[in-house]
Amino acid sequence: MSARDILLQIGQVLAVLLLSPLVQGFILRYEERVQRARGPAVIQPYRDLWKLFHKELVIPDGASLIHFSAPVVAFTAMLVVPLLIPVLTNYPLPLSDMGDILGGGLILTLGGFFITLAGLDSGSAYCGVGASRSVMIAILAEPTLILVFVGITLLAKAMLPFVVNHLLAGDASVYWSPAHVFLVCAFFILLLVETDRLPIHSSTHIEVYMIDEARILEYSGPLLALLKWAGMMKQFILYTIFCNVLLLPWALSIHGTASGALGAAVALLGKFALVACLVMVVETTQSRLRFYRYQEPLAASFLLAALAVIANQIR
Amino acid sequence: MTLPQFTPLAASFFSLLAIGSLLLAFVMLGSRWLRDYMYAFGLQSWLIALLSATMGYHVHNPELYLIALFTALFRGLLLPYLILRILRRLGADRELDLIVQPATALVVGAAAVVLALVVAYRIAAALGSDSSVMILALTVMLSMKLIGFLMLSVRHEAISHILGLLILENGIFLGSQVLIPGMPLLIELVILFDLLVAVACFGVLARYLVKRTGTTSSLKLRRLVG
Repeated sequence: MSARDILLQIGQVLAVLLLSPLVQGFILRYEERVQRARGPAVIQPYRDLWKLFHKELVIPDGASLIHFSAPVVAFTAMLVVPLLIPVLTNYPLPLSDMGDILGGGLILTLGGFFITLAGLDSGSAYCGVGASRSVMIAILAEPTLILVFVGITLLAKAMLPFVVNHLLAGDASVYWSPAHVFLVCAFFILLLVETDRLPIHSSTHIEVYMIDEARILEYSGPLLALLKWAGMMKQFILYTIFCNVLLLPWALSIHGTASGALGAAVALLGKFALVACLVMVVETTQSRLRFYRYQEPLAASFLLAALAVIANQIR
Repeated sequence: MTLPQFTPLAASFFSLLAIGSLLLAFVMLGSRWLRDYMYAFGLQSWLIALLSATMGYHVHNPELYLIALFTALFRGLLLPYLILRILRRLGADRELDLIVQPATALVVGAAAVVLALVVAYRIAAALGSDSSVMILALTVMLSMKLIGFLMLSVRHEAISHILGLLILENGIFLGSQVLIPGMPLLIELVILFDLLVAVACFGVLARYLVKRTGTTSSLKLRRLVG
């Protein structure tokens, strides 16, 4: 373990922390552009966070300890996950062996779980509705996520994201195998569901349609800023897993030099722009599904993951 | 029985085409719009035609090019055109009152694929082959048959029945192309014309159905008429 590795690991966390609002801003701006509106500036999420951190804290009556701890837990969870996944380097850093893919998934879910608890804790009607809806989606999405993980594990014979990255970057026949193609498609649907995008989540922010946001309606000021930032970081982390582990496992720092890490960060933004374009296409062409049709995209995703497992058996 | 051997590149290409056809079968299973069924079927036929053509290139059999051409023309263009015509005349554009929701149907279809895989392993073992293309072709063939049966049994629009039958047939054809690429041309032609007759008959039957009962759904057919 050298000092450079520790610096790189801190760099990974900082990259997620500092660049996540940029990705969100990019998507919001260009989605509006596609729909021929002007859209907010790319750096608007930074401004929003700045504004929220300087506002006063309004606490609802009857808020318990959960209300204060949930944003902190969610934010911390999002700071932990970047330690485990290849954000800048394609080799494991000192603390990367703490957990595998399932471990990362567990920590990501822990943040969401605490936000759900906080939504129930506030006692507001909309928060309760949001909590119950998001739990229902989690029930539908979780089996698929597990099956995708199983597919990845069978593909690489390992549960560490770095091994998967090396395998896919190095072996073109595995990269183009049906199993991998299916896994990418299945994970893309999960990505849309988990990052509050259409076809399940609404693009208009009205309370009746809200799912994940409804849980945090009672928050204000710095705590709201933490929650929003955690949400953007979750999106960034999921995009990182999608790009650096599954879809585009190239352009990561191999030797860990400063220029390599910097180049990897720039390349990461390029990859995310590509994924963001795909997301924008989905957001522009799809309309929101009715509540009773939520299971359809997730069933399709489940099917793709099951097919990946099967295609993997035959390979 | 001798089974053909393939180079790795050919094998991966065949796998991709077979898997693509299977996915299109799932598109039909997961959608409720009749027009989608038809487009998916047409595209699937084109994929199978491509498979025939590449197979012809690999086993050096010029007859297969002809079969590919016929497949593309008949299954890829003529049959979808005929079905489109029937669709237009019947004025039915989607399944109403689904017995099994698309999401459930997809999961059942996934289970069918697992079953097909298990059966395919047994058959391949019995044939004395452990080639992955062979197992994949058998899996895709069996699962497309099962999906066809599923569509025939859980959908009740007349058009869905025709398309269920056509997927079933496409599955068998795909399997035969990979497993025994040297099938006599005559048999292929007979099958193609059979299909044409089947679709034409179905068209007539469906129009008769509309005339007598005023609907294209088989759910309404409850009364026995002597």
